Amino acid sequence: MQDAWSHLGPLQWIRFVNKQIKVTAGKDEERRGWLVTVDPVSASLVLVDFREDGKMSVDMVMGHAVEEVQVLQEADSETLDRLQNSLILPKTCSLDA
Amino acid sequence: SISMSAASEADPEEQQREQHARTTLRERFLHCLLAMTNKKVQFHMYEKVKVEATFGASDIDMLHFQVSDLHTPIGVQKEALIRCHDVISLTFDA
Repeated sequence: MQDAWSHLGPLQWIRFVNKQIKVTAGKDEERRGWLVTVDPVSASLVLVDFREDGKMSVDMVMGHAVEEVQVLQEADSETLDRLQNSLILPKTCSLDA
Repeated sequence: SISMSAASEADPEEQQREQHARTTLRERFLHCLLAMTNKKVQFHMYEKVKVEATFGASDIDMLHFQVSDLHTPIGVQKEALIRCHDVISLTFDA
């Protein structure tokens, strides 16, 4: 599986955006969160997790370390809103073609 | 690193769709990097090493991170470059 993620390409990566995913990286690191984006240069993923205090925890998983990516669930409209309005995203940057 | 286009063999329309996806993903990613500037970031490295530092910048091809106040087991490094290939993941609060 190693390197498979890096070679998927933008059209495949973008299909994971706004989904809750589980990423296995390195030997036994596991990260869960909503996928915000994938860097097309390094294949690194950016995941966010909404916390109860209203803040977000952001994880960046380096593309070279990714072993496996698993989709857990799709975002409902409320989660989509929170993702679109999160401070780490540009206001004008929608996924629509 | 990664080849320029996975759709290089495909038709121009496919290439254009891929280029659009690439642009969107990269723009979003650059904003995430911007959001990380001056934040305290935990780096999870290989061999279960965890270090904390204040994030400065990354080079365009994600080979190095520039950080300040890098807390290592042997002391605090005022300024440092971290090789991205030594990093598994990093975490910060936003």
